[in-house]
Amino acid sequence: MVGPAISGAFKAVVGKTAPDKRKNRAEDRSELFDERFLKTLEHLHMVSRKVFAGALRAERRTRKVGSGIEFADHRTYSRGDDFRYIDWNLYGRLDKLLLRLFEEEEDLHIYILVDVSDSMSIGSPLPKLHYAMQVGAALTYVGLANLDRVAIIPFADRIMDRLPPARGKNRIFRVFDFLRKCDIGGQTQLAECMKTFVTQNKRRGLAVVISDFYDPDGFEQGINTLRYNKFEPFVLQVYDKREAEPNLHGDLALVDCETGDTKEVTISRSLLEAYTREHEKYCQELEAYCTKYALPFFRTHTSIPFDELVLKIFRSGGFLR
Amino acid sequence: MSFLGPIALTTWLWIAGGAAALAVSAYIIKMRRRRFEVPFSRLWKRVLEQKDANALWKQLKRLISLLFILLILGIILFAALDPTLGAVSRDARSVVVLVDASASMTAKDGDEAGAKTRLAIAKEKTKQLIDSMGGGDLALIMKVDGQATPMSRFSNDAPMLNKIVDGITASDTPADLTRALGAAADALRDRPNPLIVLISDGAFPEQQLGLAAWTKAAAPPPQAGKATSAAAWNAKNLAAVDLSGIDVRYIPVGRRSDNVGIIAFNVRRYIANKAAYEVYVELQNFGTEPARRKLKISNGSNPVDTQLLELAPGQRVHKIYAKLPASDDNKLRAALQPVEGPNGSDPFPLDDEAYALLPARTKQKVLMVTEDNLFLEGALLVYDNVEPLKVTPAEYDRNPSVADGMDVVVFDEHTPAVLPPPPASLLFFHPQGETSPFKIAGETQNPRVTEIDEGHPVMRWVSMSDVYMDKSSRFAVDAKKGESVLAYGVRDALIVAKRDGKRKMLAFGFSLPSTGRDGATDLPMRVAFPMLLVNTLDWFAGDTTDLLTTYTTGERQRVPLDGVVGATEAEVKGPDGALTKTPVIDGLATFYAPKVGYYDLTAKTPEGKPLAQIELAANLASTTESDIAPSTELTLGGKKLEAPEAFKITRSQKLWIYLVLLAMGLILVEWITYHRRITV
Repeated sequence: MVGPAISGAFKAVVGKTAPDKRKNRAEDRSELFDERFLKTLEHLHMVSRKVFAGALRAERRTRKVGSGIEFADHRTYSRGDDFRYIDWNLYGRLDKLLLRLFEEEEDLHIYILVDVSDSMSIGSPLPKLHYAMQVGAALTYVGLANLDRVAIIPFADRIMDRLPPARGKNRIFRVFDFLRKCDIGGQTQLAECMKTFVTQNKRRGLAVVISDFYDPDGFEQGINTLRYNKFEPFVLQVYDKREAEPNLHGDLALVDCETGDTKEVTISRSLLEAYTREHEKYCQELEAYCTKYALPFFRTHTSIPFDELVLKIFRSGGFLR
Repeated sequence: MSFLGPIALTTWLWIAGGAAALAVSAYIIKMRRRRFEVPFSRLWKRVLEQKDANALWKQLKRLISLLFILLILGIILFAALDPTLGAVSRDARSVVVLVDASASMTAKDGDEAGAKTRLAIAKEKTKQLIDSMGGGDLALIMKVDGQATPMSRFSNDAPMLNKIVDGITASDTPADLTRALGAAADALRDRPNPLIVLISDGAFPEQQLGLAAWTKAAAPPPQAGKATSAAAWNAKNLAAVDLSGIDVRYIPVGRRSDNVGIIAFNVRRYIANKAAYEVYVELQNFGTEPARRKLKISNGSNPVDTQLLELAPGQRVHKIYAKLPASDDNKLRAALQPVEGPNGSDPFPLDDEAYALLPARTKQKVLMVTEDNLFLEGALLVYDNVEPLKVTPAEYDRNPSVADGMDVVVFDEHTPAVLPPPPASLLFFHPQGETSPFKIAGETQNPRVTEIDEGHPVMRWVSMSDVYMDKSSRFAVDAKKGESVLAYGVRDALIVAKRDGKRKMLAFGFSLPSTGRDGATDLPMRVAFPMLLVNTLDWFAGDTTDLLTTYTTGERQRVPLDGVVGATEAEVKGPDGALTKTPVIDGLATFYAPKVGYYDLTAKTPEGKPLAQIELAANLASTTESDIAPSTELTLGGKKLEAPEAFKITRSQKLWIYLVLLAMGLILVEWITYHRRITV
């Protein structure tokens, strides 16, 4: 206990260190969801309705065949089936007992999983975390307005908290409040967190993972956990342009903001170019993985306004079906 | 190679060791690096793992960088030892380079092709001399022509000195070596290792070459009584330039010696007939071969005479063109023109032309205020240059305005109450009374002229030793009023003159013989009388027969500006149109001609109003300069001047500046490679 005390005293004397400043900036989320943000959300909602007009209604149709009103398919009659659904016309023509199947209407569950690890606190002028929260809030709002059940789950090395599924536009203020107050920080452990998530949430649905995916153990295991448990992963990678193309020079000690690992380097043009290539390669690995398993994937940097990203997501049709 | 650095070798070794240790330590000690937070260090690790494949080369680069720094350090420390190439001269030299820019240096025989002048070659040699100077040597460039002009201060800035040398131009004047040596010796006084380098064709008068003393002059002879030996000592020692302790070297320039030049050219009017004039021209072949030239004399644009001359080696020819009729143009020009064939031209054109001016001719209006006086009227009537007019004293007194517009008024035995207004000059014979322009002190019976002022223009060529006169007024001369006595009878002033503002006055104390006069003189019977009258009228007109209008270049002359009062400065317009100022003292303007040609000298009032103007001509007229044969050897004050060995003044070459430049270059390379991350 003496160590942290001394460390705190030392910090008080010499001033706040750079990580402190970064963290404080990320923690200050008081003006993240202001009036203007709300107006932007409303606009997004209106636009989303226009984009999908005629194709979609407020409700979602699941693939589950049940007692809906729209015909979906036939299947062979088996003992115990309700006689009312036997297609007698077909029986007359084919001499086979076939059962009419209808699409059953039910609420879609959307889980917004926001990475709140330390690496998300980095970014200029806007920390990636803020950007991720704004995107998450926007998607939540659209989901709530479409009468879907939307839950928000911040995670880092664990599931930090959980806003239970809810529906209806009026719930958005609770969402804002939750995002403002939720704990942040820690290392990214995607696999562990997804494992916990699938255990805690039995109702399957769309799992929107908003993260930089800077997990030392890799992103594959975490996403696979979602896939194997019948969730529909929706991958949204957020990065800062300056971390992709850093403007560094001189002799530096590079410190990993999550693990604290230090590496001494002398920055040269060739080194920076190699790093940029490596970053791009990493991002492409993630994209290739998602493409391979037909998972919706979006990559964005924080310089793109969040509403533009959300519209892009809408237009792709990956989020609202 | 030698080392002149102020640091002792052991100290230097300590410093070198310390600096090297410091440099190596700086490479060994790990630098504290700036911390930078990254979101995902795994990416950096992957990049660095690839880079670490070249770790050996990286280490090698660091080693090269260290060696590079040690090399720079070594060069700087080596420079601190002040390494010097060649023989060492610890003492820097002070050099005065005398560049001969006299007329003969314009001879176009500097090179084989005759394309360059001697001065161009002299300038090249001067620059070679400057470029061969050592770091501590200081040089001063001095131009030698009719004057000695320092062109720079003592400096070792070779580019600046070379630029100054480029700016040297030749004058049309003979060289004044004595003056230049004196100035150089003065400049070198108390300076270490003084050296004078004379770059010239050696065209100096023998008399100047003798005026140099290589040792300190001994004390003057003690026998004060022996005036002749003291004067001889003065002439020898005081005039000589003290070159004791100064090393004087000589670099000759020039190749050819064939030259024919005009060495004298002048013109004058005849005293009795000013409408005519005669021309004198003298020329000489200075070469060793016979020469042929065409001599052309012209008056303005009118040719006077052209003739082909053949001159034997060394032959001097003079020609007089007599009784030439005057024209409107007063400018005369003599030109030697080349002719076809061998020895028909020479490389020195400056003395092939000469200029002269015909003195201005004026016809004066002379009013005689006299009862009939045959002697006076007769003397004036025979003089061509006057328009005589006569009135009686009574007529003049009734109407003094009759004298308006006259140049001269002669009062014979009459002293008017009202003098004619200026600028009319006045001549009085026997003035009397209170109105006399010269105060009368009394009267002398049977005076004899015992002394005349031969220097005055009026008394030039006049003899009055046996002149008889019955009586004469004695004048009380006041020198403060500018009055001067031209003839004394023992101590009595018998003939007096003065300048009264713009006009002049002259008075004879005695009367001219005439009917009804008791006092008489036999002066009108003598040759002196018309001469006196002519001289007087010429003096009144400012037309003195001894006025020179043709001068030689490079000599300072005092030129009388007639009638100039109150001017302290005159404007000189040179042949090239350049305007300069020259001082005027007591009506005499200082005239110095640097170029051959015609000059206009104008005296002005402080308000800029012209007072007097005179035209002058300047010629080279120097046998020393025209004798262009270059002297490969020069003997100065009995000592033969040696050439500087291979133009080397200091045979040492300082290396520190080059080493410092090299170190700076290497630092720049290191800086660039470091920041480009090549040596990191």
